[in-house]
Amino acid sequence: MQNESRIDPKIIEEMLKFSKNVIEAPKLVSAPDEISLEVTSHDVVQEMDKTRLLHYEPLTDKQHKTPLLISYALINRFHILDIHPEKSWVRNLLQQGFDVYMLDWGTPTSMDKYLDFDDYVNGYLDTYVEHVKNESSTEKISLQGYCTGATIATAYTTLHPESVKNYIATAPVIDGWRDTTVISNLAKHMDVDKMVDVVGNMPPEFMYYCFSVLKPFEQGIEKYVNFFKNIENKKFVDSFLRVEKWLGDTPPIPGELFKQWIKDIYQDNLLIQNKMYVGGQLIDLKKIDMPMFTQVAVGDHLVSPECSMPLHYAVGSEDKTLRMYPTGHVGMIASSISQKKVLPELGKWLLERS
Amino acid sequence: MHLMSSKPQALNSIGPMRAFASNSKKVSTELIEINELLMGFNQYYSEYYKQLSDTWAVAQKKVNQKAPEVPQDVEQIDSFKRIWIDIFDNDFTELFDSQKFGENYGNLVSKELELTKHWNNITNVILQSVNLPSKEEIDEVYKEIHSLKKRVGKLELELKKRGIKKNAK
Repeated sequence: MQNESRIDPKIIEEMLKFSKNVIEAPKLVSAPDEISLEVTSHDVVQEMDKTRLLHYEPLTDKQHKTPLLISYALINRFHILDIHPEKSWVRNLLQQGFDVYMLDWGTPTSMDKYLDFDDYVNGYLDTYVEHVKNESSTEKISLQGYCTGATIATAYTTLHPESVKNYIATAPVIDGWRDTTVISNLAKHMDVDKMVDVVGNMPPEFMYYCFSVLKPFEQGIEKYVNFFKNIENKKFVDSFLRVEKWLGDTPPIPGELFKQWIKDIYQDNLLIQNKMYVGGQLIDLKKIDMPMFTQVAVGDHLVSPECSMPLHYAVGSEDKTLRMYPTGHVGMIASSISQKKVLPELGKWLLERS
Repeated sequence: MHLMSSKPQALNSIGPMRAFASNSKKVSTELIEINELLMGFNQYYSEYYKQLSDTWAVAQKKVNQKAPEVPQDVEQIDSFKRIWIDIFDNDFTELFDSQKFGENYGNLVSKELELTKHWNNITNVILQSVNLPSKEEIDEVYKEIHSLKKRVGKLELELKKRGIKKNAK
């Protein structure tokens, strides 16, 4: 008797369909240059070196009094917060009646390798906060920091608490020793002095390597298999390409800033111990005494919840809220969960304090 | 006669070849050091790929144990793919999270940076031979610009504060 292995005809059918989708992809998919990531209308209200302050056009007749300034991360660009009309963080807040400003850190060049934490905290962010205060005739603003942008915003809030009415920390990078991610493991073993001395700014290629070791098979294979399977689904393809374009566009990080970030956060863990200095001033987290809202994603594989949550317990605020969401780092800000759960909760919290 | 004979010498003293020749010893030294560095680099590079291939082999064994049958239909293929991806992602994440990977990768990058530094030094010799600034000299300019910008920013802020105080009076 011979063992006969019979192949299901459906397998052949699936394989043929998949091959056809791969061949037809160039006809069905836009080139990256054809995709605009600037979804919601805005004006550039101030520029400083390579950074810009964006002010979004209101989507409601009346806005709440206290404006919100978002300090986006240093990795990738702010577009993820406005990546698609149906998943836009910014648009949702505008629809809830908030006056939204965004900080675009721009693209540093070799010339910017000496920019440090002080320049970002007491230079750019402070200048833009003052601009927002003047433009909206308020003495205090609401400040939101996302990821590494929240590390900068946290340092700023401790040094300038008089300018911040409400502080929102979204997946903040705070306690490097508790971080359980692959990124943290690589950061802890990095000779950052040598890197900055030799290459100047942290090159984007290094960041792409770090991305590639995060769930490499899910992200490197399954994601693209799904893309080709759904190549005829216009909505899926549009959404996929927007995120891919965003992922493939990360600016360099200024050398001195990167050096202090790796050393003080991941290697020596100074921030959470209230031992970090920015521009010669001690960052004491207890000085954050205004209402604070911390948002953490349980499935975050870039900034683990253990790295973000200690901020909630370290600040001096009496009015503080910690929320955990069953999603990932990007899912928390640009997904249906963010639209249905994260943003309504944030809006409600912010409205009560604006 | 004196002028004629000294002219070629004068030309030679400002041309790129003379400057390059006087620094060629440095180039040789750098190349020897690069060669020595490459040995260390290769050691960490081999270890890097050894760690990846060992992890791959272990993960594949786990997949074979969990899904020993050859998938026969579309549903089985999907299940097999899910098992394969989950096991490989878990095992590789465990590797990337480990101290042995972190240390080796840190050393590998460090050696690569040292190689880059030697390469920069060779480039500097060529740059100097044609009277162009070296990387260090350009860095000095960047540092100076950064420091000046900071000072100007502080002065502008001071002026603004004084202006506000004046207007308040």
